Amino acid sequence: MSRGSNAGFDRHITIFSPEGRLYQVEYAFKAIAQGGLTSLGVRGNDCAVVVTQKKVPDKLLDSATLTNMHHLTPRIGCVMTGHSADSRSQVHRARVEAAEWKYKFGYDITADMLCRRLADISQVYTQNAEMRPLGCCMLLVAIDPQLGPVLYKCDPAGYFCGFWATSVGAKQTEANSYLEKKLKKRPELSYERTVEMAISCLSSVLSMDFKPSELEVGVVTKESPKFRTLSEAEIDTHLVSIAERE
Amino acid sequence: MLEESTESEWQSEVKTGTTIIAVEFNGGVVLGSDSRVSAGETVVNRVMNKLSLLHDKIYCALSGSAADAQTIAEMVNYQLDVHSIEIGEDPQVRSAATLVKNISYKYKEELSAHLIVAGWDRRGGGQVFVTLNGLLSRQPFAVGGSGSSYVYGFVDAEYQKGMSKEDCQQFVVNTISLAMSRDGSSGGVAYLVTIDEKGAEEKCILGNELPTFYDQ
Repeated sequence: MSRGSNAGFDRHITIFSPEGRLYQVEYAFKAIAQGGLTSLGVRGNDCAVVVTQKKVPDKLLDSATLTNMHHLTPRIGCVMTGHSADSRSQVHRARVEAAEWKYKFGYDITADMLCRRLADISQVYTQNAEMRPLGCCMLLVAIDPQLGPVLYKCDPAGYFCGFWATSVGAKQTEANSYLEKKLKKRPELSYERTVEMAISCLSSVLSMDFKPSELEVGVVTKESPKFRTLSEAEIDTHLVSIAERE
Repeated sequence: MLEESTESEWQSEVKTGTTIIAVEFNGGVVLGSDSRVSAGETVVNRVMNKLSLLHDKIYCALSGSAADAQTIAEMVNYQLDVHSIEIGEDPQVRSAATLVKNISYKYKEELSAHLIVAGWDRRGGGQVFVTLNGLLSRQPFAVGGSGSSYVYGFVDAEYQKGMSKEDCQQFVVNTISLAMSRDGSSGGVAYLVTIDEKGAEEKCILGNELPTFYDQ
């Protein structure tokens, strides 16, 4: 077992360390938290919602051109957390993969197959020495024609899974505990309750009261299965009902 | 004898010997086609819809070799799927027509198909584009396919600028009906698609409901 020749390289490229870890993949996860943003997704009875913070770092920045919510197909939407250039690359790849599927097989790709495909691509980056893993994590939502509302997450390790609710980013541990507590009894979640739960979780974990301009919310519902982002007025309505509830 | 004729039938390419037409009106377009697909003398499909979707508000009319035309339409549909989601809005009719033209021109020696692209977009309203042999030209109306030769006189005489949506639909149905009655490679039913700001509406007019002219 000669360790000498690999000394130090296991931290620089994606080869195994003697303990069996891939340091580059772990560093990729740290890169996601670097941005300082947290996003989360919640699945309701007949809807799926993703929420993220909107932090405008520069006063001169036009915030209308800055977004982390993206359409991948008219019916599948996602929120990206982490390195923004890597996010754009992954979103573009997802769009092309989805369109190629429709061209090849003649029907719209489902969220789980799209997530699986992106996870497979991310896995390749964890084996190739010449490419680094992407420093971003994608939360996909859609209304699946057979399964109803679905929420999927795919990360730089090439792992993907479907969730009832999940979070990504700087405060993901706290957000995940909050969501676990609230969803332990598997409550019936209507559209309004789902959106409000997602926003309240973010508020509580970050200890801030949001203004509508500081949040981005993306939804898919059974009545309107096309992914759409809520306007500031709609977000405001939800913030008001959360405040009234408390 | 029987064997010989089946052999030559399979050797003839499947063509949509066709009549296709597209007309612009203020606020949209109307596309029309017949429904006959022939392989030599045999009618292989008598109810084929030759109006193919490229995007929600952009359709194309297929003529020439059935396989070539369908393949081009499917490729452009795929390219428009990616393009429209990247730009975040409905694509321009000009973009769709340019994509069709690029394929038609690049492979003009291998392909034998002519697609007329028509649709509605926010910037230009209703538009009709011709892509024959790899050229790109916007026209107020366009006819294509083998049946078009028989109706050039009719469309030139009867077309007027500023027709309403219903006038255009009637114009298209009349044209197709006349072409079908003279062209051996056109026939069956007439398919119509009307596209405007609200979306695309497909209609099928059966043989016995088509307008008749002096000899029928």
